[in-house]
Amino acid sequence: MHNQLDRLIWRRHRRLFLALGALALFANVVMVIIALSSRQTAGAHQLVGASIHHWATYKGDYFTAYSYWLIFVYWLAGLLLMNQDLKDNFNQFLFTSGFSRQRVYWTKLRQSLVVLLGISIVTIAVQYSLYWLMKPHGVSFTLAWPGLLTSWISGLAVATGLFAICWFAALIIGQTGALIVTVTGFTLSLMSVGAISQPILTNRPFSLSGSQLTWLVIGVWLIAAIILFVWGAVLYQHLSLEHNGEYLMVPRLKRPVYLVFVIYVTGIFSWGDTNWMADVVTFLITVIFGYAWLWRPRIGERLHQWRARHDG
Amino acid sequence: MTLQVKALSKAINHQQIIEDISFDWAPGEIIGLVGRNGVGKTTLFRTLTNQYVAEQGQVLIDGQSTTRHPLQQRQLFFLDGQYNFLSNYRLWEIPEFFRLVYAQFDQQRYQDLLVQFELDRNSQYRRLSKGMRALVNLILALTSNATYIILDEPFDGLDVIVRENIATMVIDEVADQQKGFLISSHDLNELDGLSDRVLLLKDSRLVQDYHLEEIRETAKKLQLVFNDKTIPAVLKEHSQLIRVSGRVLVVVITHYTPEIDQQLRALNPVLLEELPLTLEDLFRANLAHDTGYQLMK
Repeated sequence: MHNQLDRLIWRRHRRLFLALGALALFANVVMVIIALSSRQTAGAHQLVGASIHHWATYKGDYFTAYSYWLIFVYWLAGLLLMNQDLKDNFNQFLFTSGFSRQRVYWTKLRQSLVVLLGISIVTIAVQYSLYWLMKPHGVSFTLAWPGLLTSWISGLAVATGLFAICWFAALIIGQTGALIVTVTGFTLSLMSVGAISQPILTNRPFSLSGSQLTWLVIGVWLIAAIILFVWGAVLYQHLSLEHNGEYLMVPRLKRPVYLVFVIYVTGIFSWGDTNWMADVVTFLITVIFGYAWLWRPRIGERLHQWRARHDG
Repeated sequence: MTLQVKALSKAINHQQIIEDISFDWAPGEIIGLVGRNGVGKTTLFRTLTNQYVAEQGQVLIDGQSTTRHPLQQRQLFFLDGQYNFLSNYRLWEIPEFFRLVYAQFDQQRYQDLLVQFELDRNSQYRRLSKGMRALVNLILALTSNATYIILDEPFDGLDVIVRENIATMVIDEVADQQKGFLISSHDLNELDGLSDRVLLLKDSRLVQDYHLEEIRETAKKLQLVFNDKTIPAVLKEHSQLIRVSGRVLVVVITHYTPEIDQQLRALNPVLLEELPLTLEDLFRANLAHDTGYQLMK
């Protein structure tokens, strides 16, 4: 039974997995080539900086221990794996297949994460090998476990967290265009969250060191991922496909989403801002935009009815 | 072995689409499902197969709920003709999915039927004509070897020859009493020749469950001509008007009793002739919004 479901999901997504793997490999190979060609003109003797020996995430000028492209591939995978099954009506087949929805959900998630981990390992192996093989004469490529392990764990945690956000969003949002806009906006907003939270955590009363902050961030990403995966499983169990094509596949989430959106966006834009008038304007824009975004079909429908009456 | 639908209800956007639907379905039966457009036939199928989560009610197969025992769903086959996942796949690829779900899926027969109906195995599903897609859906239904097979408008887009072939195959499939079909169709003539039993949906509810043999014993379709232009009270009370042509009335009386017969003959009609009762007549008699007499001037 398990084997059959694994085979079914593999059969369904193998082309997508292959495409994601190819994207990760291609992007990293190009990245290595660009890094090494820029390195040749610089003339230093080390590709990797000394900070690779510290228990901290490593990011140098020429060498990245865990590529941003890999993180992007996880992000994309979360989006596509859930959205494609909804849009291509594969969910209908899965829901009538005789496999329990919980088993389908967790099998799909497990298989996706295993494949993505495999893509990460192969891509990193190829990336590091290319650095080793293509490094210019007289330049050394020295690695150390502290920097590598921290970077890999941190990279995987961020990638898994972003995968979870996209996976969850694609589960509850039934419109592809709106999904992309929502997830892209939220992902970009996380940079602001990082910028806001970093000084808070590194200054008093928390006074976290760089290393402590790294491990805290890893923990936060992993906990967020677990919460989203479990919450997603609960929602998947009750997903009803008549909502396919609507912004929210789970109508009862409309009000909570609206509330979180207003608080989150207003909070980000108003943080540290002393101009209360600007904050009020931000709040009002958020309230109106959020309402129009979430209830726009109803607004559009009413406008259409009003026009019909007016024309009649 | 039986499939039971118990008090199934589904609302979409606060509008009740199907309400309190209950019926039993056994292998060996071919059940027709008829109703006006938009009455909820496809919603019933989607709710039956757990694509839509029911507000109320349950589906039991061999006494086990399909939501609590999902494995039972494998005895039930439904492939949505309008929305399915097959579009991007070639015909030879499709069985790979179905044989992982339906243990008895007959791949050899699938290939044989593709050849029989001259369907190119290398064709992409989405590039097929509407009729050919309907044919592929039907081939998948038959080769799944599920016990209960739901077909939603299976004859839509098929030419007469293919329709006949399909109808013959469906009848052959139920011959050994191992499979049952639930078929919705607007082609009532086709359904009339196939079904043993017909479910009528009206205003979100199941209003009739006819066993066609039985109903043909109790119902009559009559062609009548009266001397007087006024419609007799007995007709207004007991019949549905199917057609009017001059002074010729064609009516259906679903519960034809000796008393009604006596009353009609007492009126000395110029013509009182019994006509063969069809499913279309029952459809008109049950699902028209009024008795038909209101439309007469």
